[in-house]
Amino acid sequence: MSFLSRLRKFPFWAWFWFLLGALYFILPLLATFEFSLSWDPAIPFKAYQRSFEDSRFWTSFIASNIFALITIFASIVLVVPTAYWIRLRLPQARRIVEFITLMPFVVPAIILVFGLIRVYSTPFTIPFTDIVFMQPLTQFKLGTNILVIAGYMVLAMPYMYRSVDTGMRTVDILTLTEAAQSLGANWFVIITRVILPNIRSALLSGALLTFAIVVGEVILASFLGVTAFGPYLFLLGQHRAYEPAALSFVSFLLTWFAMGLIQLVTGGQGQAAGAH
Amino acid sequence: MSYLSLSNVTKQFGDTVVVDNFNLDIDKGEFVSFLGPSGCGKTTTLRMVAGFEVPTSGKIMIEGVDITDKAPNQRNVGMIFQSYALFPNMTVAQNIGFGLTVRKEPESVVKSRVAEMISLINLEAHANKYPYQLSGGQQQRVSLARALANRPQVLLLDEPLSALDAKIRVSLRAEIRSIQKALGITAIFVTHDQEEALSISDRIVVMNAGEMEQVGTPFEIYNFPKTRFVANFVGSLNTADAEVVDPTKGLVSVDGVQFTSAEGTKERKKGDKIKVAIRPERFSFAALQHKDNVVDAKIENITFLGSVVRIQVKIGNTNFNMDTFNNPFLELPKIGSIEQVTCSKEAVLVLDE
Amino acid sequence: MAQTIVNSKSNKATTNWKVWLGVVPFFLFALLFLFLPSLRLVTASFTAPDGSFTLDNIRQLFTVPVIVNAYKLSIQISAVTAIGGGIFGFLLAYSVTVGGLPKSLRSVLITFSGVASNFAGVPLAFAFVATLGRQGFITHILRDYFGMDVYAAGFNLYSFAGLSLVYMYFQFPLMVLIMAPALDGLKREWREAAENLGASTTQYWLRVAMPVLLPSILGAMILLFGNAFGAYATAYALTGGRIGIVTIQIGAQIRGDVLYNPGLGYAMAIGMVVIMAISLAGYSWLQAKTERWLK
Repeated sequence: MSFLSRLRKFPFWAWFWFLLGALYFILPLLATFEFSLSWDPAIPFKAYQRSFEDSRFWTSFIASNIFALITIFASIVLVVPTAYWIRLRLPQARRIVEFITLMPFVVPAIILVFGLIRVYSTPFTIPFTDIVFMQPLTQFKLGTNILVIAGYMVLAMPYMYRSVDTGMRTVDILTLTEAAQSLGANWFVIITRVILPNIRSALLSGALLTFAIVVGEVILASFLGVTAFGPYLFLLGQHRAYEPAALSFVSFLLTWFAMGLIQLVTGGQGQAAGAH
Repeated sequence: MSYLSLSNVTKQFGDTVVVDNFNLDIDKGEFVSFLGPSGCGKTTTLRMVAGFEVPTSGKIMIEGVDITDKAPNQRNVGMIFQSYALFPNMTVAQNIGFGLTVRKEPESVVKSRVAEMISLINLEAHANKYPYQLSGGQQQRVSLARALANRPQVLLLDEPLSALDAKIRVSLRAEIRSIQKALGITAIFVTHDQEEALSISDRIVVMNAGEMEQVGTPFEIYNFPKTRFVANFVGSLNTADAEVVDPTKGLVSVDGVQFTSAEGTKERKKGDKIKVAIRPERFSFAALQHKDNVVDAKIENITFLGSVVRIQVKIGNTNFNMDTFNNPFLELPKIGSIEQVTCSKEAVLVLDE
Repeated sequence: MAQTIVNSKSNKATTNWKVWLGVVPFFLFALLFLFLPSLRLVTASFTAPDGSFTLDNIRQLFTVPVIVNAYKLSIQISAVTAIGGGIFGFLLAYSVTVGGLPKSLRSVLITFSGVASNFAGVPLAFAFVATLGRQGFITHILRDYFGMDVYAAGFNLYSFAGLSLVYMYFQFPLMVLIMAPALDGLKREWREAAENLGASTTQYWLRVAMPVLLPSILGAMILLFGNAFGAYATAYALTGGRIGIVTIQIGAQIRGDVLYNPGLGYAMAIGMVVIMAISLAGYSWLQAKTERWLK
């Protein structure tokens, strides 16, 4: 092949767009990192040091992680049996359940929190009477925690459900169940020893996405007045300069970590969330 | 001079030689099949004719014009793909007219040619449907019409029937053959299915591991396979190790049981180790016909295959299959009994190792 | 085969209401935390302060200037970043799928896109302040090395253009994630068939590839539109609520009745839900169209 035709074959525009995209990705991160180091040239990681010394950082960060874990656990408990049951016995419910799992795209977080506050800020009364049997959920700490976790579950539902459902389809859960039944397994054995191990990577990728959504989430937590990392970072940004940059970079690394793990467990098919 | 010729065509991918020194001349209007197992180089050869692959060395000519280095869209050859490759965004009529419109043919030509092609494949009722609305067989007929609409010099078919059901496969292959004959178009047909190749072709090229094993009419390929590979690949075959007993009389011995072969032992010496091959349908029970090659056979097993009954027999220490046509009054021997079976001298083939 | 098994099961299932018990927890959850809150907003938006039914709130969505402007701004920002992010994301997806770049770059880009499409909200806003703010990294580089003072030239990170640039950061990666599989769906045989029939590369792209991809591209852009339309945290963190997009207005209304009419706040939320629902419906419709073609 001559030099000229080799040159003609060189995918110039492909490289051009790729490099432009790479710059768009990297520059803000680079800038954030550079800025977070520039507080005190003598102590390069001063912003990080200060951030990690703040007890409110740890309180909110740990709170967010606990929220994430509870959300993941509750989502799995809710979604896995539902998806399994629909594949196994109730295929006619597939359309409606899929529709419901898409609803969070139609009701973004800001609307969801608006509705949750309006519904759950009034006391619960026994129907047709004025007798209050429960204070509004927004009035006490456990109540707001329940609301915020339920909200996270709604936001994560599309990803969790799709991930689990795809996992069940690829391993053909119906045949596996029938095979296990024909070999005399009971339901407990089927679920714990056949179903869950086979959708392990789907569960893991759903869980990691949920983690990424919850840890960075700010709307639900701040409007419900719950201590979490998102609102903390936002408030920090109102009156500090260097620490927010440092924590933004840390939070980028966290997202990167979660997404990287997903790539690893799903073998390269990336998924997109949308908690913006 | 031949219509399409491939001379010394070799194709290498890296260090692997996929097609090795391929030579073939095809006459105008001839239907030639490339037959072989997957990976034998048949599809690569076809793709070199289409221009999707460039030969490492060698020359491809159509009507005396060297097309070896021409881009695919500069050649006038039509290609049919195994996966149909119909454009999903276009109707049947738009698919068929595609080649004409990219060549900027006037609209009237496009219209009449499309109508002509649609009636050729009997899909008048489906002209405005999209590919996803058609069955596999219909889609492949559209793909045939699309390739023919350009009036190509050569029609290339890359396993066009492999994705179809058995019944459609048989009817569509008859349809392809009759259209090809009616238009007098030169065609190359790639397949791994020996029955398909035997039924459809004027000539068959049997390929193996990038090399031509044998070229001949279906009759020659089936009845006079030149190599063991061809004999094995085309039709079913009994093969057995044997030893030359008397080269002049064509006498060979299989585990001490003697057979006479009509040909093939002349250039050999007594005591040479060889292979003999006998097709299952050439055996019959001795009472019925032949006088030569009458041997004792122990009936081991009987399998009913529909139109044919396959009987497994043991001659000496070697198992052979013999096929006999089924009929309602067929009397079958008992399993375990010893019967006399026979085959003609011509049926005993002597193969190269 | 599997389909017939499912069907035979489902026939039995319809005669037995008990199988529906299996999905009750899910429906209950959706009812309590998704439908009830949404429905409450719907009913509230049709309720006058005295509790009677009214269409006033809906009518005011189209007449009160601050609301009309909020929708206008949100639609503009969403459209600009959906089209811009869509085109850029498509070109990127093209470059790593059929564009001839090395295979390894593909997984790098897909991973990066997964991260970036999820990296939004407060940290993203801060990252862009550090990049393109008045004292930002790139702002300095452009000023010190290229003599371009972007702020003097009228650029402002806290404006429409700035916010669009920030949104692009999660928009085009989402496009990459949607388009890469769609581009993979282009069969090699289509290209070969087109070439074989005499088409040039341009003709192939114009007459086969682009029409086949068009529903996917449009559908993805609609999804991007909704993605930007629903975004709140990024804009809020960046501008501190000074840019009047719909989500920010709704947020302000939740914090306190800034519109001096609670019903109007609910109506605004419902207007947003309607727009999101239309986007999702459009996306699903286009998606179904492509799937039908490519099946």
